[in-house]
Amino acid sequence: MPKCIIDGREVEFKPGEKIIEVAKRVGSVIPYFCYHPGLTVVAQCRMCAVEIEKMPKLQTACSTPATEGMVIHTKSPKTLQNQKATMEFLLINHPLDCPICDKSGECDLQDYSFDHGDAYSRYTEERRTYLDLDMGPVIKKNMNRCIHCTRCIRFGSEIAGIHEMVAVKRGNYTEITTIDGLPLQTGYAGNYADICPTGSLGLKDFRFKKRVWFLKKTPSVCEGCSTGCNLEIHQEDNVIYRCVPRENLEINRYWLCDEGRFNFNYLHDKDRIIHPTLFQDGAGQVSEWKEAFNLSKKTLAVQKTVILVGSDLTQEEGRLLQQFLPEHFPKADVYHFGTPGISSSAQDDSEDQILKRKSKTSNLHGFEKLGFKSFPGFPKGCQAVLVIRGGRAILPDLKGIPAVGLGVFSQSQASSFVAVLPGTAFAEKDGTVMNYQGVEQKLRQAILPPGQCKVLSEILMMWTHQKSSFGAA
Amino acid sequence: MLVKKKKGIFQEFYLVEILKGLYITFKNLFFARKVTLQYPEERRNYSERFRGVHYIKATNGVENCTACMLCPTVCPAECIHIEAGERADKEKYPIRFEIDVLRCCFCGMCEEACPKDAIKLSSIYEMSTTYREVYDKSFLLEQRGNK
Repeated sequence: MPKCIIDGREVEFKPGEKIIEVAKRVGSVIPYFCYHPGLTVVAQCRMCAVEIEKMPKLQTACSTPATEGMVIHTKSPKTLQNQKATMEFLLINHPLDCPICDKSGECDLQDYSFDHGDAYSRYTEERRTYLDLDMGPVIKKNMNRCIHCTRCIRFGSEIAGIHEMVAVKRGNYTEITTIDGLPLQTGYAGNYADICPTGSLGLKDFRFKKRVWFLKKTPSVCEGCSTGCNLEIHQEDNVIYRCVPRENLEINRYWLCDEGRFNFNYLHDKDRIIHPTLFQDGAGQVSEWKEAFNLSKKTLAVQKTVILVGSDLTQEEGRLLQQFLPEHFPKADVYHFGTPGISSSAQDDSEDQILKRKSKTSNLHGFEKLGFKSFPGFPKGCQAVLVIRGGRAILPDLKGIPAVGLGVFSQSQASSFVAVLPGTAFAEKDGTVMNYQGVEQKLRQAILPPGQCKVLSEILMMWTHQKSSFGAA
Repeated sequence: MLVKKKKGIFQEFYLVEILKGLYITFKNLFFARKVTLQYPEERRNYSERFRGVHYIKATNGVENCTACMLCPTVCPAECIHIEAGERADKEKYPIRFEIDVLRCCFCGMCEEACPKDAIKLSSIYEMSTTYREVYDKSFLLEQRGNK
């Protein structure tokens, strides 16, 4: 392996590796704005320029490949002088609205300004301002804060597959906008807010909801489809405020689709059933666990029962049900369900060649591995259904068959049910899911279940031990 | 080690000691400067920097606060609760701004952290109530200070 010297330390590198990556590996952090490991290199911001011996000028570390015997100084006076000058230049037109900006606290510009910038501005002229056009339902643009790093433009054309962001005008008047001012088309728009190094592009969903330094982060996995993108759940006081992608180069790289990003909203839906509920003529009535169990058992104590298990449950829950169901419902047919039309892993294809897949539940492949059969439709003479699911599997048409729900349901979804026993969704439990590549990943509990919601194992335990309270029926 | 002081008969008698003590008592009773204030009629002058009831400064009738959440961040008693929102004339403003004054320890760190010169501690110190008071936004927006 060839070697170079960074800040007096000898470092091995792979041929072709850029200086910025080599330096990061040995802990010499080089500041950057326009560089992003998942995007092409443009070397526009000039923040990462470092001094290399035998080169007359500073070289941008993001675009210069390391070579054998190269001597690089990332903390030399010349480099630091450049960083300070670049910061001053970028901050010329940047408004001082960190108190309003949702990015503050995780803003690259703010961090580097603190590390490398000057405390005072020499700029006395009027700052450049823009009028912002609406950019659709996901992203709120504030062009005044932009530093023209063009990460968003590159993300659109390279990752999202739609070149919708462009830089119009030149020099000081450069403006980043969508072509013809149209709203954003891509289903990956949330990433624009993640990769923006300033608060220029922000999520409308997260706007003014919470300052980022209050948020507690839990690494978890998206349950939106069978890709199983890695994400981080950001919550405070048992309320999830947002989900952001977590780097995993084998699965989702640095990205997350909007569907998965905003999927968590159903957890805090006012319509969600969070207490044991009995239904009469479509109207839910909150009751006690005991009554709900009794009614459920009475409903299911019939000749022909179908049990539908959502493939949004975890492997652990699936295994638990495989032990529980044959014991308590020896005659029932057990099927898994998830997405209409996608009943097996063979049908689960990539939806858009980027991240999304056709199976809209996270664990279809895991359930096949466990040996669950796919739901073929209700058999003739079916008298009762038990639906067990997380919050994601799409309910099939129940055709008026009396149903008991166990898991996450909303009032409107469960209006034709007999009873609902409230369970937990993906952010409220630990577990394992298997994605389409066969990679098993951990879901981690980020928040406590609301109301009287309980994890499946607890509900099944109560179900078992309440047996005596239920008379002969 | 405990050392027992030897006392003579004169000391054991205590009369001299009592007289000494009474001398101080009567000196303060009749000749010392009075420190008690006749409170509702008389008021003590506090320093300009005294930290009393909070208020949010307003400029031309609009609150200075932009709901940046620096005061709840810095507050050691965690008594400030803010909910941010947006309206036509102000990009970000506090929809709800509450100070649980029973929790407040009047350290003045909110005032120090505020980048917008919005939250202030006035010099008013009469704030006793018969109920558990939480200062809401309309109460805080009364301009009761001169800072």
